[in-house]
Amino acid sequence: MEESKFGKDQSQYERPNNPYRCGRAILWQTPCNRGPATDGTCGGTRECTPFLKNDRWECRRDKRFGGPCDEGPRPNGECCIQRPACAPHSSLRIIRGRVTLLVLLAVIALIVGSLGLDSHFNGLVSISDAGPLSKSHIKFTEKQGCNACHQAHGQGIAEWVKAVFRPSNLSGKCVTCHNFGGDSSVAHNNNILTDKEVSKTQCVMCHREHSDASLNIRTLNSKQCNSCHENKFKSFEDGHPEFSKKYPYFTRDSIKYEHGSHLNKHFDNPKFSDKAPKTCVDCHTITLSDREIKPGKYETICANCHNSQIKKKELTIIRLPELLQNRIDSSKLIEACDFPETKIDVEEEFLSVSTEQPALVSAFLLNFSEDDPDSYGKPLQDLIMSMAEESTTSFAELIDNQAPTPISENLLAGLNPEVLKRAACAWGLNREYEPPADPKYGGWYADMLEIRYKPAGHADPVAKSWIEFALAVSTEKGVDVSQSRAVAMREQILSIKDGVGGCIKCHAITEFKDTKGDAYLTVDWNYKNEKKRPYVKYKHDDHVNIMGESSCSSCHVLNKEEGYMASFKEYNSINWVNNFKPIKKKTCMQCHSEDQIDMECQTCHLYHLKPSFKKDMQALKAEPIPITP
Amino acid sequence: MKKDKVFRLPRSLVYACSGSLLFILTWAWAVRTENSLGISDFSTGWVLFFVIAFLALFGARKRLSFLPLGSASRWFKIHITGGYMAVFMFWLHTGEVWPSSFYGQLLTLLFYAISISGVIGLLMETVFPSQLTHTKMEVIYERIPKELAEIRNEVEALVEECAKENASSVLAQHYLETLRWYFQRTRFFMSNVCGSEKPQHWVHQQCIILERFLNEKERKYLNKVYLLAEKKRKIDFHYSLQKMLKTWLLIHIPLAGAVMAMVFWHLIVIQVYFV
Repeated sequence: MEESKFGKDQSQYERPNNPYRCGRAILWQTPCNRGPATDGTCGGTRECTPFLKNDRWECRRDKRFGGPCDEGPRPNGECCIQRPACAPHSSLRIIRGRVTLLVLLAVIALIVGSLGLDSHFNGLVSISDAGPLSKSHIKFTEKQGCNACHQAHGQGIAEWVKAVFRPSNLSGKCVTCHNFGGDSSVAHNNNILTDKEVSKTQCVMCHREHSDASLNIRTLNSKQCNSCHENKFKSFEDGHPEFSKKYPYFTRDSIKYEHGSHLNKHFDNPKFSDKAPKTCVDCHTITLSDREIKPGKYETICANCHNSQIKKKELTIIRLPELLQNRIDSSKLIEACDFPETKIDVEEEFLSVSTEQPALVSAFLLNFSEDDPDSYGKPLQDLIMSMAEESTTSFAELIDNQAPTPISENLLAGLNPEVLKRAACAWGLNREYEPPADPKYGGWYADMLEIRYKPAGHADPVAKSWIEFALAVSTEKGVDVSQSRAVAMREQILSIKDGVGGCIKCHAITEFKDTKGDAYLTVDWNYKNEKKRPYVKYKHDDHVNIMGESSCSSCHVLNKEEGYMASFKEYNSINWVNNFKPIKKKTCMQCHSEDQIDMECQTCHLYHLKPSFKKDMQALKAEPIPITP
Repeated sequence: MKKDKVFRLPRSLVYACSGSLLFILTWAWAVRTENSLGISDFSTGWVLFFVIAFLALFGARKRLSFLPLGSASRWFKIHITGGYMAVFMFWLHTGEVWPSSFYGQLLTLLFYAISISGVIGLLMETVFPSQLTHTKMEVIYERIPKELAEIRNEVEALVEECAKENASSVLAQHYLETLRWYFQRTRFFMSNVCGSEKPQHWVHQQCIILERFLNEKERKYLNKVYLLAEKKRKIDFHYSLQKMLKTWLLIHIPLAGAVMAMVFWHLIVIQVYFV
């Protein structure tokens, strides 16, 4: 290394910060001693700047560049060594500064330019900047653009400045479209903890937009749930509370279906085995099912075995009983029945054609004792006479008298007045009524001594009306004797063996209390939905798809203890014994445990209460998506 | 008096550990914020912003060399540590390697470009100085044209003297046809950057090839020319490597400006739209 070259006498002090480089050096020539001027002009056209001393010009060339020249300055004071000017170039530092400035300007131009390209441009940002919206939000925001959520968008620079100092109300914008069962800013949209003050929530705490169109913006992790819940636990396996004692059978079934007897007894019976379902899913459709699996319709899963039983169970509303005395005015009856040629046999002693007791329905309606001929003789014969004269009118009046609003139309629907009249005419003459044909297809008909109703099939409206009538009148507070007759009628109509249609064999009856605190009974005609548990979800479909159609018994284990059917004898739907044993946490943990299947809270729980959309959004959703060619 | 030696951890290790610790703390903060239903993007975003701003201050430090702001080497090491940390912090903040928005992609592209240029620059700063030391020669970058001009004049003087003394134009002819190209300016730029021995072979070959056509006296001149050519080769090597060390900043610094501009815009948008 030639260190002497860098000595102060040999070496020039280099200044890399100078904005220009000598043009000769650029061309790989010897750069001039003085270098370029700060304004970028060549400083090397002459070797030195001569100095006037005692009227003589002296050469001032530096020692490092050879010292004063032999020739010396010219008489006019110019340096004798003149060179053509070079073209100095900018130094690397200056070039770097210029490039940096250019890049900065390019970025600013790009930002401002992108604003001009924004189709929703009213403000200062492009809609595409923040990233694609999730699939669920793309359509709903296409009309309003960024304004759908961001208040400051398109409102000008003044609004932007204000927005910097004003908190953005993103959550407030969410509820312009989304609807919940409660306050959106309250945890779980429900004041669950009324005794504690819980901090307000915001949608953006959990939901993040502009991540990706394919991302699920609703996913949370268990730790986020733990941030609020006092009962903190690590996972479902580690710390989750045990399920409640009745889980998941909280409400009594509306249909009395004893799985034990059907599975172990009836389905094995050769008489029914070919009609019996092979697996649970033959009756319970799990496709697209949620937490609750409704059984199939009666026509699909029950009718094969039970349909014929319904038609066999008829209702008798009037029966000609044994009468001790004929109280009917025969001439009036003949006139009313239009029997001009009928001859009346005048007998010394009246012998009743019937030896039966009157029907309990008419006993209740006419309020007589069904086993006391003296009690029922007159009112019943009066009824027969009025039926002969006015057919259904008098009987309908009797029914309507029992209810605050006329209901006979439902109860006597389909009753042919002529049939009733003819039967009354026959009975008035102390004769049996001879029906023209056997009733095959159901409906009202008159038999020898009775007016009967034969249900046409399942869900027969007349049968249902009579059951509801019986339940209604039997729970009314009335005179004791009348009340006992109503109860007797109800017991007959609700009888599993003889009740009309046998409805109550399967349909449960439940007692409720009205606003005054009075008890009343209703029949569970329809499938009763599970108790609403808005924060719990379960997909039967997914589980059965994984474990197979015969896997139901892995969780739903038959309860072999007696008591299921007995639960329905009481009308109390709270205390009951279920067909199946309650499901325990350990049942789920067979699969949902460490290193197996997901145990995050959201696997089984929902955060929001009744999430839905506002009407405007539903209308928007229904709009067809325009198809561009 | 002899001082007892005190064990000290290497400074770069201290910086690396500090950077890692800061990253881990930020990450833990982000996880905690997210778990408590906060928005971790804000916390990681602000930390990232301050890290990037600190990295940008390195350029200002160079200009404010008169202020007692710590040694440049210390700043450089902190800049390197901060640069690596910024990359991880960036991923922590965005949660993805490549965002889906146009603006995000542009910002990410610039960020990756500056990061890559920084890593390449660091590699050069680490490798090139030791390679330059191996030449056993020291040349100031700005003086290389002058050095080359001196060598060129020296060689031409030698060739001229040889021709006059020996009345032979073989060396002069060879200089005009071949060596003149070599001495005119710096050559073999990429070969020098890549560490190739091509320049060395070329110089050696050009002198060897002529040797048998020269007499004893001429050979002495050829040897002197060869020595000057070797010296020029080393200066070329210095030029190539020093040029690279200076030029990579031509990419790194403008990119830094662009990233800072984009970051400021990002802050404004977030403040207006989300906070």
